[in-house]
Amino acid sequence: MCLGSPYCRRVAGNYAEALDLLPGVVSRLHAAGKRAYVATPAAPREADLPHVGRLVDAAAAAGADALEIHNMGVLRIVREKGGPVPAHMGAYANVYTHLAAAVMRDAGAVRVRPNAEVSLGEMAILAREAGVEVEVLVHGKIPLGVTDRCFLLTEPEESDPKCPSACREVHWLTSRQWVLKTVGKGVLSGRDMCLLEHLPRLVADGFRVFRVEGLYETAAYRSEIGAVYREALTRAFAGGAYALEDRWADAARRHAPRGLCNGYCFGTAGRTYVGTVLQDANSGV
Amino acid sequence: MAELLASGGSMEMVRAAFDNGADAVYVGATGWSRRRAEFEMDDAAIVEAHRYARSAGKILRVAFNTLPASSEVPLFLARTDALYAAGVRDFILTDPGLMMALKNRHPDTIIHASVGCTIINIQDALFYKEAGASQVVAECRMGKTTMRRIKAEAGVGLEVLVHATTCYTLLGRCTMSSYTKHGHKVDASGKDHFPGSPNRGGLCYRICLTEWDQVGAAGEIEASGVELPNRAYFLADDIPYLIDHGVDTIKIQGREYSVPLVGRMVRFYRELIDACVRDRAGFRMDPWRERMARIVADRDAERREKTAGLIGESLGR
Repeated sequence: MCLGSPYCRRVAGNYAEALDLLPGVVSRLHAAGKRAYVATPAAPREADLPHVGRLVDAAAAAGADALEIHNMGVLRIVREKGGPVPAHMGAYANVYTHLAAAVMRDAGAVRVRPNAEVSLGEMAILAREAGVEVEVLVHGKIPLGVTDRCFLLTEPEESDPKCPSACREVHWLTSRQWVLKTVGKGVLSGRDMCLLEHLPRLVADGFRVFRVEGLYETAAYRSEIGAVYREALTRAFAGGAYALEDRWADAARRHAPRGLCNGYCFGTAGRTYVGTVLQDANSGV
Repeated sequence: MAELLASGGSMEMVRAAFDNGADAVYVGATGWSRRRAEFEMDDAAIVEAHRYARSAGKILRVAFNTLPASSEVPLFLARTDALYAAGVRDFILTDPGLMMALKNRHPDTIIHASVGCTIINIQDALFYKEAGASQVVAECRMGKTTMRRIKAEAGVGLEVLVHATTCYTLLGRCTMSSYTKHGHKVDASGKDHFPGSPNRGGLCYRICLTEWDQVGAAGEIEASGVELPNRAYFLADDIPYLIDHGVDTIKIQGREYSVPLVGRMVRFYRELIDACVRDRAGFRMDPWRERMARIVADRDAERREKTAGLIGESLGR
């Protein structure tokens, strides 16, 4: 489980801001047999760097298993501290090539999540050549952009009464046939990434780290989609015949009001769905 | 004194930029820079532009600032080898892995970390310095405190864009365009131009600049015709500050604009910088504003036309 938000330090319930709560939540996850990762800010300005330093120290002291890092400066801070916590490079770290992944590996990264635009074929090369674990987003909103100015506020965030509640609500951006989701300082895909029907290929290609993105989603989304993927991955790893259960497909459709996609994985536009089972999720949205 | 760096989207633009007072011009290698192929140059044109620069005692920088596929790394090395053999030493890159590879292969190359690196704090600047960059481009909204700190402590050159755009999201960290439309166009060398991805092939459909409706969870319209802020700017008031604080390069972006307009922009900034340096104490901005307003109006007209075309292209029109 990844704690915290890379988008905004003010987002409600951000464990990466409540440093005194980190030891407790990390302990609870460990006691449940889970690993605890902590997200760091994706776009830290100069004024945020002292907080980043404290966050790294707190995550290390709490026994976190890794830090999710999007910004090269943050990676450098972790390295300068002697790498007290392994680094996982996040979606905004812009990992496109094995050479970049190797630079980050040498700076302390043990895992990379390639940029959303990197196809599955490219990810396989990257994993093989750079010698790092590659994390694949299998389900959830695709991160499309990050900024440090909240789109949902009209006043400075310190004084706008809509902060921090505005990004807890759902806000779509629609234009022509396009739908995006805004979370204030981040732009996400309108459609949900879904690789449910492609899991056997991912397993065969050697991928072993799969992410269900639950940021800015409901608890029901996280638990139901998470459970679907746990079951589906177990079956995919078992080998043999693999077919989608109706209840898996129903859950994927039910939690994707703007449809499903998986395009970048196969080299096409991000909003497209490549597959033969769930493509109907996009009809009428 | 700060170097004035201008855009070179064609050989004609390279000449116009140098002839109007640029100290350096950047061009994009076809398939490898953050613009589409019509604003980039093949190797023969780059070498010609490099010679033109050298003959005037000036510098040509070649941008390889896309984020390629791993399988394209050998293409990058072969192409930069060829340009190196022709005398080119100045490169603009984004991928830290490519920076290290080029620096290890040709230690006397001069590498600038592109705006696509999204350098927003001093630790970012230090990271790219360690990857081989001797100069970094400040993210477009970087504050003066960070600029001062990088200049004072990072030990790298600092480049500031005075004519560019502040994208809705952080430039270099946005894939909104390719989410809507993305293709593959492999050229004769084997390089994929990734049309639709500004990070990978340079063509951004600027979908942020269309009109959006903000819609709530139940489908209710919260706001109509919402603008996702993406503004072209033309900084002039900050020029004295940039000079005073030792900024190394003042950059004019704009390979996609017309050659006459780029020439006017370069001439404007050249004369402004020279006037400021000549008489810092007596320098006043007011006399420059009317001329600047005319350039900005013409720039905006060209940009509107280009943006409408790009959005139409993304819709397949």
